Amino acid sequence: MFKTIKRQLPVMALTAAFGAVSLAPALAADGKALYADKGCVACHGEDAKTPLQEGFPKLAGLASDYIVNQIKDIKAGARTNGQSVDSMKPIVEDLSEADAKAIADYLASLKEAPAAAAAAGAPHPGKTLFLTKTCVACHGKEGKKPLPGYPAIAGQDKAYIIAQASDIQAGKRTNGKSSAMQPVMHLVNADELALVAEYLSTVK
Amino acid sequence: MLKLKHSLAALAAVSALLAGGAVYAADHAAPKKGKSVGEEGYVWNAGGGEEDEALGLKPDLKNGREVYEVCSACHQPEGWGLPDGTFPQLAGQHYKVIIKQLADIRALNRENPTMYPFALPSQIGGPQAVADVAGYIQTLKMSPENGKGDGKDPALGKKLYADNCTRCHGAAGEGDNEKFYPRIEAQHYAYLLRQFNEIKAGKRRNANPDMVKQIHDFTDQETRAVLDYVSRLVPPKEKVAPKGWKNPDFQ
Repeated sequence: MFKTIKRQLPVMALTAAFGAVSLAPALAADGKALYADKGCVACHGEDAKTPLQEGFPKLAGLASDYIVNQIKDIKAGARTNGQSVDSMKPIVEDLSEADAKAIADYLASLKEAPAAAAAAGAPHPGKTLFLTKTCVACHGKEGKKPLPGYPAIAGQDKAYIIAQASDIQAGKRTNGKSSAMQPVMHLVNADELALVAEYLSTVK
Repeated sequence: MLKLKHSLAALAAVSALLAGGAVYAADHAAPKKGKSVGEEGYVWNAGGGEEDEALGLKPDLKNGREVYEVCSACHQPEGWGLPDGTFPQLAGQHYKVIIKQLADIRALNRENPTMYPFALPSQIGGPQAVADVAGYIQTLKMSPENGKGDGKDPALGKKLYADNCTRCHGAAGEGDNEKFYPRIEAQHYAYLLRQFNEIKAGKRRNANPDMVKQIHDFTDQETRAVLDYVSRLVPPKEKVAPKGWKNPDFQ
């Protein structure tokens, strides 16, 4: 009997591989359910853009890769700033890679169509700083079209932006592209950072 | 005894699993780096790869201006960088030096996380783009007001420079295009300081080992003096822009 199974192992492995591939669409569809079931809703909001309190990030529309990387980094202890260890780690510890990808794909799909152009008027002072202090170089025009690996920050929670930028500057957050951002953070003082964050939080 | 078709099936299954694993690893794996100064087998300016390709191409200045738009966000449209040294002045830098540094940054032979994405082919293009942007930068005149040191030890700085730096960087800090030695005259003091210290510590991985040895025993005071001196060197008049000049290519 074992001889037969041994001979069939390669075929079984191949079938398993095919099986996993065909299950993928079903997993992706569950991203919305996982987002609710795994407890994300509680802090990040049902629509993923109305967080429970100031300082928690909005997740709707962020790139899937970026979300997956944050989950991985928090799980692995590569990102430890803010709520990463106390609040996030226990929750993401349970997430399988497939779960994380499914949730991330779902969140990325929540990207809204570009809003109508804002009414003309004096631009927010933070907007000018966003350009002159070089944030635009990596995070893209209005913080909407970042370089690969960098997060879109348009419309993000103001306090969260300030916390991340400060943590990156202080070396408290070091994961991902933090080492690219750290050397330029001194270009803004605390007041200027607040203006930039305020501007970004208002971008639709 | 496994039959051929079973072997093929096994190969396919294992390949599928390995491919999946490789994709996963690639997301978070660091790209392969070249050797660092101080490592066995390190050769300064070994060349090859994109550097050689770019060096053999004729720069297209019109495309160079297009490519430079990406760079202008930090290095400024005038190519002057920032006087506080966060971003170096590129205007006035030698053609071959720019090509080498860009190639080194994008091949991860020179560690620069902030520059890295902007040096990538996906951002600026292949070897032709590297040649183009290096060619465009040659058209830019230098800043009339670069960042300078504290000016406290001019005599010491001048002597140290004459004794240690002229062999490669030239009597006036003009460098040498053919030998890939950068022009350092009138570069921002804080940028010079950061590079000097990183070269001294081996942190700038594409450094010239002769330079690492040359500056090994410099004290902090000597470092400040010689770099202050270099930051105050005045380039030839025709290489420097008038005060308040703005790059018309970006107006």
